[in-house]
Amino acid sequence: MNISEKTVNHYTILSLQGILNASSAPTLRNYIAGLPEAQSLVIDLEKIEFLDSSGLGALVGIARKKKSSSAVMKLARMNDRVKKVFEITQAYTLFDIYDDVSAAAEA
Amino acid sequence: MKTLLVIREQESAWLLDQFPGIHPLLVPICNKPFIEFLVDFAILAGSEALRIVSDGGLRDVELYCANGSRWGVEISYGNINPADDTYTVIEKNRRFCLKERIMIISGFLFIRYDKKSDYTSLFASLQSGELLRCPHGSISLTGDAASVISPAGTLPFSLVALDSIGKYYELSMEILRSGLNKYVLPGYSSEADCYIGRNVIIPKSAEIQKPVIIGNNVQLLANTVIHANSVIGSNVIIDRDSVISGSIVMDNTYIGEHLEVENKIAAGNLLIDPESGSSIIMEDPHLLTAMTPSRVAGTLLRRVVHTFAATILILIQLLPWLLLRPIVGMQGKWKRKREPYYTALAGKNVTLTSTYIESNGSLSTLAKTLALDRFSLLFKVLSGELALIGNKPVRVNASIRLLPNRVAGYRPAVFSYAEAEDWPEFCIDTEIVEHYYAVHSNPMKDISMTQKAIFHRTYQNHCT
Repeated sequence: MNISEKTVNHYTILSLQGILNASSAPTLRNYIAGLPEAQSLVIDLEKIEFLDSSGLGALVGIARKKKSSSAVMKLARMNDRVKKVFEITQAYTLFDIYDDVSAAAEA
Repeated sequence: MKTLLVIREQESAWLLDQFPGIHPLLVPICNKPFIEFLVDFAILAGSEALRIVSDGGLRDVELYCANGSRWGVEISYGNINPADDTYTVIEKNRRFCLKERIMIISGFLFIRYDKKSDYTSLFASLQSGELLRCPHGSISLTGDAASVISPAGTLPFSLVALDSIGKYYELSMEILRSGLNKYVLPGYSSEADCYIGRNVIIPKSAEIQKPVIIGNNVQLLANTVIHANSVIGSNVIIDRDSVISGSIVMDNTYIGEHLEVENKIAAGNLLIDPESGSSIIMEDPHLLTAMTPSRVAGTLLRRVVHTFAATILILIQLLPWLLLRPIVGMQGKWKRKREPYYTALAGKNVTLTSTYIESNGSLSTLAKTLALDRFSLLFKVLSGELALIGNKPVRVNASIRLLPNRVAGYRPAVFSYAEAEDWPEFCIDTEIVEHYYAVHSNPMKDISMTQKAIFHRTYQNHCT
């Protein structure tokens, strides 16, 4: 999985590309562990090709950590594959989900 | 123009209580799913795209509506949080709302309209802002009009807040009595006020009075009478000598013989009085029952695999259990509790003995590591009352509004998927992983997940 980073309005935008599963979830966790704890995030999921329960677990874990350190984590541009997993698991209740990265970073 | 449909779970929760298992947007009004009325109105108003956003699940709606190609409109879906205001909802859907005129339908509303009116020109010329409001929602417009013209008189549509079973019944009766030609309704209509679906068997001795709507795959038996103002859903059997008057018979319902159903709603084995809102569950399947497809074929292979794996686990655990159970029991570290739990079948419970082993000694830690606390539950797999791996069993609780066994995919088990995935077994986290595997599991995957669950227990106990 590839992670690219940019900053917009005090938000770190992480664009994920590839597969987010049990083998790539630690990469995401470690990458985010390297950022300041109180840094708010927007995770762009448009180029995620596959998401499984472990990948979802990583996103839930990161969201919980950010919440405990009074930061914000938002998700943006979910493609249909990712949306389907969120719909099945009802994980959407835990996140703020935007269809546009810049809207997520402005709100 | 585009339409943004904002539905909040709380506004339609009452419908889930009345018709469990049916998404509120798919509840039929005069045999037409509620969402279709909203889609029709959006199209009449000139919308080329419709986005349905909700703070609840939209999976069933998405399965039904798909991408909207059957209506010639592009339908997409989105999620919001219960606390989001209109501004936040628009921001969360900025890409959809950008550069276009947006009609926002917010709330669980029915829109009274007339398919013969020209709404496209009307909506193109209306000024932006709130157009109509009722206690539970509103219709508003954003964006600039092509040319603003003030509508003469009142708007040719109105809102009905669907907030009770009484309103639902009233609305259905209103459409039957005076609105059948205003909406596009399903079924064949060779004469006014009479819509009949496909594969409807009507014997010569049956009597049907207008106005009436009958769905698909309906069988009326000898001497049945369908009086005026009745709606009969799809996949319905009305047995001989029964009389239906002023009532709504929902899909997949069997009405027994020699019955009179008057001014009621029959849904499965539930008979609802729309006036008082009270309902009774008919225990006798010869009177009123739900007709559901058999799930035997789909679950048989899973049951065989689970039974086989449970037998092997019992054989592996038998000797350690015989050796450790008496010793750990004498140490007072083996605690048992018998409580009722929901099974996978609606209306049925099972009493389970849950075992708790205090792991503060070498033998008790070993017993826990070997998952001996689950030993007695494995026999429930053999009897088919539990699965080997699935959902963490939910204890019977009178205060639970939506029973787990009314939700598709609930399969109480000895080991849970949350344990296997090492997700925390609390709050929504457990539900997330269990929902995931309700869709993505198969019998062989279940075996590997059981191994993972046992491995995680071993690892955790070893670490602690």
